[in-house]
Amino acid sequence: MWWNNVETKPGTGFPTRWEDQDQYKGGWELVDGELKLKSTSKRKTITNIFHNTDMPTLDDYYEPWTYKYKELFDAPAGDDQPTAKPVSMVTGEYMNIEAGPNWDDDLSGSPLYAENDINLDVLSEEQRDQLFAIERLMMFYFPRICNHCVNPSCVASCPSGALYKRGEDGIVLLDQERCRAWRSCITACPYKKTYYNWNTGKSEKCILCFPRVETGQAPACFHSCVGRIRYLGVLLYDAEKIEETAKRPDHELVDAQREMILDPFDENVIREATKNGIADSTIKAAQESPVYKFVKDWGIALPPHVEYRTLPMLFYVPPMLPVMSAQEGESVRNINDEYFPDFDKARAPIKYLASMFGGGNESHLRYVLKKQSAIRAYRRAVTVGDIDLLEAEKALLESDCNPTEADNIYKLTSLCTFDDRFVIPAAHREEAIEMMKDPLEHKQTAGFGFRDAPARGM
Amino acid sequence: MNSVIMKKLIPILVLGLMWTSGVISQDVQQFYKQNCASCHTIGGGRLTGPDLKNIHERKDEQWIKDFIEDPLAVINSGDLYARQIVEESRGVIMPKVGGLTPFIIQSLVDFIKEESAKEKSVFGGSTLADSPLTPSDIVKGRALFVGEMPFENNGPTCIACHSIAGEGKLGGGLLGPDLTDVYGRLGGKTALAAWLSSPASETMGPIYAKHPIDESEVLPLVAFFKDKASMNVAEAGMHDFNFLIFGFVGLAIVLILFDLFWGNRLRSVRRKMIKGNL
Repeated sequence: MWWNNVETKPGTGFPTRWEDQDQYKGGWELVDGELKLKSTSKRKTITNIFHNTDMPTLDDYYEPWTYKYKELFDAPAGDDQPTAKPVSMVTGEYMNIEAGPNWDDDLSGSPLYAENDINLDVLSEEQRDQLFAIERLMMFYFPRICNHCVNPSCVASCPSGALYKRGEDGIVLLDQERCRAWRSCITACPYKKTYYNWNTGKSEKCILCFPRVETGQAPACFHSCVGRIRYLGVLLYDAEKIEETAKRPDHELVDAQREMILDPFDENVIREATKNGIADSTIKAAQESPVYKFVKDWGIALPPHVEYRTLPMLFYVPPMLPVMSAQEGESVRNINDEYFPDFDKARAPIKYLASMFGGGNESHLRYVLKKQSAIRAYRRAVTVGDIDLLEAEKALLESDCNPTEADNIYKLTSLCTFDDRFVIPAAHREEAIEMMKDPLEHKQTAGFGFRDAPARGM
Repeated sequence: MNSVIMKKLIPILVLGLMWTSGVISQDVQQFYKQNCASCHTIGGGRLTGPDLKNIHERKDEQWIKDFIEDPLAVINSGDLYARQIVEESRGVIMPKVGGLTPFIIQSLVDFIKEESAKEKSVFGGSTLADSPLTPSDIVKGRALFVGEMPFENNGPTCIACHSIAGEGKLGGGLLGPDLTDVYGRLGGKTALAAWLSSPASETMGPIYAKHPIDESEVLPLVAFFKDKASMNVAEAGMHDFNFLIFGFVGLAIVLILFDLFWGNRLRSVRRKMIKGNL
């Protein structure tokens, strides 16, 4: 159960091939213009009431194991080194380790895992061969937590109503007391980020460290990220547009989701937000939100697998792997001197990235990669000076950027402070609580009563 | 502390004893009817078991008490008279009666002694069995057995627990013994009629005590059993076998259906991938 994991792409990830919705049946699909869950319907629930199908098996996650370290010490004297044999942590029996949670880390394991990345299906045979050619081999990391989707399929699928998306901050949570172990969410989540705990009999998922967020701290994985590549901020969106947005065709989904996200500087938006009870501090945080800048202002962050139509609220800046070099005798020569490398020849094929981040729409990927390389060239002109600054600025303009924006992107990505990366407003839990409880209920009484009243027996 | 408990306990114990003895003195006749009368008359000749008239003259009281308490133990102890009884009953061994206490046993012995002294005991044999059996009785008996006709007093139908040769496509119930040869086994018309009037076995007793088989229904059933007695017991056994076969066939069909419905369920993605079957 890994609420937060980092996968290597190309690779099959955790659980194996989680992106293969033909097998796992996660997310939404458009049926006659209506959004339907791929996994759950009344008919499917009744006909499969004794066996919830389409869930990843233990083998798809991995069988946890440990080693019999004691055998290292107990081994009788022999000609060879003693070994600590692996034992399953499920059965306690000796086992043959075949896969682990990060088996394909850094393209390790076997070529089988990288080859079976479902995003490679969009590539031609030739492109795939090139991808795995020794000199051109590429990989990048894909960190994954729960996406806290705007249109979460896990919430929609739960028969017990245990899953909910919090109104005040949009965190998707799973109520441990209401969960009845139907495990519909396990199938319905296309990112496979809800897990079933066999010990407690309840499902669990990433909580975006809400106790930390409520107290103004960044979630633990954001806070501790050594690469400082995780940012957290407020986005205001129009909830009325969710359904309409999720129904758009695949290649329009990225744009549609951006349209749904509102401009926090817009007078109308501020007025409506205030009318809807959104605190001024939250609106201010939305205006300073680093995420808003990445997604809307600069347009360089894209949602993962937007074609699942859950409208994920985690955005990724796609990796740039344009560097092309060739070995000539003893030396290595850079074979691409253009400001804009030919992205079609880049090591990470545009089509492949578009399959992951663009809903198949390559134009978003071209835009992002072009902007990133223009900013690189511009910063090189400023700091190193071996490139003509005017030419670099021209390149910026060509990629829908300008020197000011380039500086801002440079600062937020390279020189950012903790407070730049995480703009978390006061939680205003008191307002959320007022919706369910009268805060003055215990005024002038002694104590706060019992959370669970004492009773005899177990 | 102890004395407090004792004070509380004493009245309770006394009350308990009074209650039990009250029941027995009033209902020993009822107890005999429910538990004994199906096999034993008092002065009416033998049914399945021997006539109990003047039994105290045949054996001493302690022997009778021991036998009532645990017949099998007395038989197994090698007692000659007990063996003779079993032989006379064609191997039917008297079942252990449930709920016996020394007090009840004593009451029963006294009751039998008392009734033996009478000229005509209430348990002096049924007159029911004197009427002749007609072919229409067989038809009615069959209807009662298979449940086509419900019992007057809403007792459960026989086939629910018993099988009998040639009845029911899948045979009858398997809880009770096969009844094909019951007519001969229990010792004919009179004994069978007595048994049916108040079935005394551990299973049937409690059920039919509340819903007794009506007098008008006993004779048709006897007629039906007599008719069946000519059949082959082995044939009845075939029904059990058929039932078993039917069970296996049904299971196979259900499993095949399961496989049709859920055959393409997700078993494992990784394994399929490794085998190259994706």
